[in-house]
Amino acid sequence: MASVTIDQVRKQYGAVPVIHDISMNIEDGEFVTLVGPSGCGKSTLLRMLAGLEDISGGEIRIGGRVVNDVAPKERDIAMVFQSYALYPHMTVAENMGFALKLKGEDRATIEKSVREAADILALAPLLDRLPKQLSGGQRQRVAMGRAIVRQPQVYLFDEPLSNLDAKLRVTMRAEIKDLHQRLKTTTVYVTHDQIEAMTMADRIVVMRGGKVEQIGKPLELYDRPANTFVATFIGSPAMNLFEGSIMDSLFVTRDGVGLPMPADYRGAMAEVYGIRPEHLTISETGVPATVVVVEPTGSETHVLVKLGSADANLVLKDRVDLQPGQPVQVAPDRAKLHLFSAQGIRVN
Amino acid sequence: MSDLAIPTLQAEAQRERSAIGSLRLIQTACILVIALVIVSPLFMLLIASLKDDRFQILADMGSFRAFWVSNPTLSNFAEVSNLSGELAFGRYLLNSLFILGCTVGAGLIVNSMAGFVLAWGTLRGRALVLSLVIALYVIPQESIIMPLVIMVSRAGMTDTFAVQIVPWVASPLYIFLFYQFFAQLPKELFEAAEMDGASVFRIYRSIFLPLSLPALATVSILMGIESWNQYLWPILVTQTDYARPIAVAIATFFGQDSIYWDRAMAASVLMMIPILALYLAFQRWFVSSFVGSAVKG
Repeated sequence: MASVTIDQVRKQYGAVPVIHDISMNIEDGEFVTLVGPSGCGKSTLLRMLAGLEDISGGEIRIGGRVVNDVAPKERDIAMVFQSYALYPHMTVAENMGFALKLKGEDRATIEKSVREAADILALAPLLDRLPKQLSGGQRQRVAMGRAIVRQPQVYLFDEPLSNLDAKLRVTMRAEIKDLHQRLKTTTVYVTHDQIEAMTMADRIVVMRGGKVEQIGKPLELYDRPANTFVATFIGSPAMNLFEGSIMDSLFVTRDGVGLPMPADYRGAMAEVYGIRPEHLTISETGVPATVVVVEPTGSETHVLVKLGSADANLVLKDRVDLQPGQPVQVAPDRAKLHLFSAQGIRVN
Repeated sequence: MSDLAIPTLQAEAQRERSAIGSLRLIQTACILVIALVIVSPLFMLLIASLKDDRFQILADMGSFRAFWVSNPTLSNFAEVSNLSGELAFGRYLLNSLFILGCTVGAGLIVNSMAGFVLAWGTLRGRALVLSLVIALYVIPQESIIMPLVIMVSRAGMTDTFAVQIVPWVASPLYIFLFYQFFAQLPKELFEAAEMDGASVFRIYRSIFLPLSLPALATVSILMGIESWNQYLWPILVTQTDYARPIAVAIATFFGQDSIYWDRAMAASVLMMIPILALYLAFQRWFVSSFVGSAVKG
């Protein structure tokens, strides 16, 4: 196991920069998720850690050793690819043991290591099968097994669950987390799915446009997003944002809707008012709104309302009898407000 | 829908099925005619090789008797299967087999390596090299054959097996075929092997080459046919029986004074067998590929 340090790392293709001086430190045994929309540079950063992409500037250290010019095979890392990348002509056992074979390990050692990894991942009955004879979830587990067998210092996962269906994704998510808890190996996991990031990571790195927007524990990011991008990216349904300005003890939206502010607010001038859907409730003391869509999910009810001309999402724990077009009053929880400047930076 | 509409729909479906049936019948008839045109000369060759009278063979040509033999005999085959002497066709056949084996074996290695490097190597100017390789393909063999003869003659290579193998091992067409096949394999396979600790050569040998069975089969068949049918080049560079291939040797039956149709036919049948076997051995990989299971299917 080892820590990973990314120090002022930069990547550019010709004159076009895609990663802008990123720095972060990943502790030994930590599970860090890189999350962000498509094209934000998260996979490029992971590939730079793997050694599959050259870095244009800065330094990457794995276990204290600078690996900028070290070949992938000498970095002591293992990577699980989005497409699994299993060798189709080799059995599961051969796929898993290939790296050890290349290292020159004897047959007995390879078999023992493969058997141990197969036991961890419940792959033992499948060892003689070819990849084409496996389901998507089983192939994914083989890809993980191939990484485990090598006992690397760092695991790299590049959107490993994005090819699986929703149900299997939930199962595999738990399996990967369980695996990390057992092996305690430093893990860097790339995903565009914020639910995956929230549920699995010790810390999340939110990226956009080749830059880090915020690094923190999942609930820190959820409770105190540093800017409007993180605020809307983390959480589903996304945080409601209203543009406007503070007037006396109210935040008045551009439509003239007055939203309540904390009584003792003395912070900087906020021009964006954010409130998570579950912190908006239907209350007689709230501001007038009109129901647009009601979506019962069973455990909760999602309601889309019009607040002036702006849309607002509510997540209600109770089952409510609301109809589209029905007038309601919605009330934000003042203690859970998020206020941002005109540039989208958090101010409260 | 009214009740009347149902019989109308059924009648329409019936008409459609009948039209499809007629179309299939015409297609089958066309295919049969084409197959007959292709197969009949081969059948005629086989029948003629079983006749022991060369004048009778000539007389039968042009009539349906060419497709029938009343007293089949293998005497022609026995005559042309010697390993030495005037009719050492056994020897020529072995020569051809040796040349084919070496050319195809070496060709698979050299061309696949070149194709792999062009598809996955890190050399600068790969695109330029590939363009040059493709450009070379348009140069006809005949246009470079005399300079080649002079070169091998000066190198003292005439009348050897090497002279019939080495010049034909590397081919722009087969390099390009391998390049195309390797280039369409998923990048993640290369990267996964790289992460596993494989060298570039090991990736080629252990991952990409075993996956390229369809390309290997295609190149084996094409290269085998090309090598087997070489005629002009061996005539120019062989003078004795030592390394003479069967395609050249058969021509000796067609002398100025007489044509030995019976022996020529038997030798031709013998000549066909290895290349047919090569085709049958590899043809199933022409259309099969299991690369699809490498990544998410």
